[in-house]
Amino acid sequence: MWHITKREIYDNLNSLRFALTAVLLLALMVTNAVKHLREQPKRVQRYQDAVTESSDRLTAHADDSLYKLAQYGPGNFYKKPSSLHFCANGGELVLPDTVKVDDPPVFMTDAEGNRLLEGIWSLSYPDANLQNKNVGPNVSQVDWAFIIGYILSLIALWFTFDAFSGEREQGTLRLMLANSIPRHTVLIGKFLGALLSVSIPFALAVLVNLLLISTANTVHLTPEAWGRLGIIFCLALLYTSLFVALGLLVSARVQQSAVSLMILLLTWVTFVVFMPSTLASIASSFSPAMSFDEFWQQRNPIQENLWEKYKEGLWSSELDDWKLRAKSEFYTENAEREERRQEEQLKYRASQVHRARAITSISPATLLQHLMEGFAGTGFERHLQFVENTQRYARQLREFVADTDRADPESLHILAVREGMSQKPISPESVPRFEDTLNLSRDFNTAATELLLLTLFVLVLLSGAYLAFVRVEV
Amino acid sequence: MLRTLIGRELLDNLMTFRFAAAVFITLLLVVANTLVLLKDYEQRLTAYNKAAQESHQELREEKIYARYAGALVVHRPPNPLSIFNLGLDKQVGNKIEVYHAFVPTIWDAEKHGADNPFLNLFTSIDIVLVFQGVLSLLALIFAYDALAGERERGTLRLVLTHPIQRGYILFAKYISAMLCLLVPLLISLLLSIILLTTSTTVALRADDFLRIGGIVLTSLLYVSLFYLIGLCISAMTRRTSTALMLCMFVWGVLVLVYPNLILTAVEITPKPDAKISVYNQIKQMWEELEREKKQFIRNDAILGPPSRGGEDMDAGFGLEGVEYTFWQGEDKPSILLYFHQTGLYAGKIKAESEPQVPRVQNYYSFYNRETINTVERTWLVRKPALKTIYVQPANLGRMLLRFSPVGLYDTATEAWAGTDLEGIQDFFSTVQRHRRAVVDYFYDKKIFESRQWFAADKGTADWDALPQFSFQRSDTGINAKRALPDMLLLLTMNVILFTVIVLIFIKSEV
Repeated sequence: MWHITKREIYDNLNSLRFALTAVLLLALMVTNAVKHLREQPKRVQRYQDAVTESSDRLTAHADDSLYKLAQYGPGNFYKKPSSLHFCANGGELVLPDTVKVDDPPVFMTDAEGNRLLEGIWSLSYPDANLQNKNVGPNVSQVDWAFIIGYILSLIALWFTFDAFSGEREQGTLRLMLANSIPRHTVLIGKFLGALLSVSIPFALAVLVNLLLISTANTVHLTPEAWGRLGIIFCLALLYTSLFVALGLLVSARVQQSAVSLMILLLTWVTFVVFMPSTLASIASSFSPAMSFDEFWQQRNPIQENLWEKYKEGLWSSELDDWKLRAKSEFYTENAEREERRQEEQLKYRASQVHRARAITSISPATLLQHLMEGFAGTGFERHLQFVENTQRYARQLREFVADTDRADPESLHILAVREGMSQKPISPESVPRFEDTLNLSRDFNTAATELLLLTLFVLVLLSGAYLAFVRVEV
Repeated sequence: MLRTLIGRELLDNLMTFRFAAAVFITLLLVVANTLVLLKDYEQRLTAYNKAAQESHQELREEKIYARYAGALVVHRPPNPLSIFNLGLDKQVGNKIEVYHAFVPTIWDAEKHGADNPFLNLFTSIDIVLVFQGVLSLLALIFAYDALAGERERGTLRLVLTHPIQRGYILFAKYISAMLCLLVPLLISLLLSIILLTTSTTVALRADDFLRIGGIVLTSLLYVSLFYLIGLCISAMTRRTSTALMLCMFVWGVLVLVYPNLILTAVEITPKPDAKISVYNQIKQMWEELEREKKQFIRNDAILGPPSRGGEDMDAGFGLEGVEYTFWQGEDKPSILLYFHQTGLYAGKIKAESEPQVPRVQNYYSFYNRETINTVERTWLVRKPALKTIYVQPANLGRMLLRFSPVGLYDTATEAWAGTDLEGIQDFFSTVQRHRRAVVDYFYDKKIFESRQWFAADKGTADWDALPQFSFQRSDTGINAKRALPDMLLLLTMNVILFTVIVLIFIKSEV
């Protein structure tokens, strides 16, 4: 078997296609690295500036008083740019990179403009960018996901379309099978040979790419990032083997190599290029999008109900415990409902996106795209994870405020109201800070289905190739 | 003789598996995508109709003229030919305000309708994209063995023993292959047009069929170019397998790699920060207007300095019965948009304020006139700056894409469909003209200085008398003119390649 593999590799190494492949992949990978080196520092700088600003806001509020912190909350949250952005940019232009902290709503002011009733902060999730200011041509960025998903898969077919049919045409297949080699050994040998011949130029290009990125002192890759890169490389191999298996399957069934290539290319175009967009359009037309107005209409009755519920407490003239409690509950509930409404809107939209993603998973290219995004820490799932992180932090901060307030003996412990809360400044260091983290094991969990599906595709195609080759007449 | 040759080639091609597969796959993809695109178009059209209806209603609810800000909105209908080439039709804004305090552009437009913007994560598709990918591939598959194959089998030598010029052989091969490639192209297009005409929502006019004809013609040039590329490779190589491999490589580079690679390498994102000075300039012009306005009020003995709230609340003029003042403004440095307007809405003006009313009318006459002058001045600097920020990089990107036939094909069909930047600009220039017409109407009817501008007690605004907005897509001739340069480039490349192939083939040994 090793003999066959070796023979295949030697055959390929000397061929024209090998040279062309290497040049092509190198050009793509170098462009990718250069682009990343040009843009990543800016991206990181932008993120750091934004984070410093919102951290300053938090410090200012904490220095003022605990009430101020409870009322205005932290500054806006920003999504940490992934250091593996060059692997998959994951719709960076479409997805928002922030979760906003809304200023407290003012329910009522008096004639002089003094605020009589003012609530507390809540989270709000910005919409995806519409991109409607951009009038330039739309193309996909050259990231690893593009290189592997489109180019590498095409190359895999390019190396395998004549694996059997070419040898059959030349008559060497008969010669080989005349030796006492079992057919499955031949198949596995061919498979490994093709896979390795594709992997060699790819690995070379990847090495150059990573060399460029890791030697530059403007960007930095953590050990975890290297681990993720390892996973991504394995993914690329898995994905390539899918197309190698497909190539072998068709090549074994078809007599002429030209016909085999044609079938392969048309299959490739259908599954890799057209299927994702067509299916996504179909999926997105299944459920109607809910407009901003509709969500707004849902909100208004809620607001009125709240007024009804707390009217008496809010309007009573003397400043007593009961009124403060009514205020506190009104503010808190208002903020909670506002947040819940926003969350529901996001969830509704996310479910639409998830449905579209699930349907497009028939295409291996989309599967790969999702997996790459998952492990590179970009894309839609990552955005949801970021939103979840901010929600967790919001809870944490609110608990912190409640706990700190409890520790102050002078406070009435009625949260969210000025008169009911501690007015002392608190040390900014003791306030928990938001940290946007990525979790590799979580990424594995979300990617598990897609990973298994991809593996399943590979196995099905491989066994298909085996069956085809065993039964074929030479 | 030529007829025999063509007949032979045709028969050769038609009877092959690749022809059947070509027809099948093109039909499948085009029909499936037409259905999807049709549904998408219908949704956009419904959203458009709904939004237009709502805007119409909203405007009728306003009683005074000054409140037309934000209420006089025009919507851009989806282009039915966007099914063929989507272009910018879906991407750029389709809802634009008409207001005398700014000149509407593409960048001021927003989107109507209830779209889920997260779905923009998925790439969109159109019929030209299918042709771009599949037909080019098919053309190469038809071409790779045209010469190399015959040379390998030895039939080429046989043919050349006849007293026939080599150019004729090439020509026969070219014609027959193009005829074969035309079959899937035409059948699939016909099917999709049938689907379009059976749909009740898509109203194709006679000139739309001319435009579709233009798209077909461009497709033909594109396919022919790829066939010639394949033929050229076939003429240069000895063996079919090498020819096949090279064809595939060329296809991958031209269709897949080059467009994405070049636009990744060259930065074409708009950089509004570079023109922030223009924005400051515009802002200064408006602040100047503000100063003039305050000066005007201070000089007016009756209007006088306002009683309460300082000079910012200067639009109230102590009119009894004033409901509220308004502030209308935009401040968007990224698109160099800045304006603001102050004024008041008076419900029912009480009798004791009546003497003041002519002075207020006089004030509005002055203020609105000066506003419009300011807008003209800002537009002079804003227009070129917007062009530098947004249009130039976009054009640079398109220019770079033209080095691949794919880019030429895309821009030419976009121009035919009217979904290119110029086609969309047509709509916005119509909106600009409409704004001008509305302003002129306000001048003519002395609405800027009328009582109805700010009060609804003696007669209300008559919106139906306003000039109506109507937008017609540009003539087919203009579409053709815009598509022509790219089509000519495609044609030139075709001719050059054909000549090169003839030269190579004549010189080559058989």
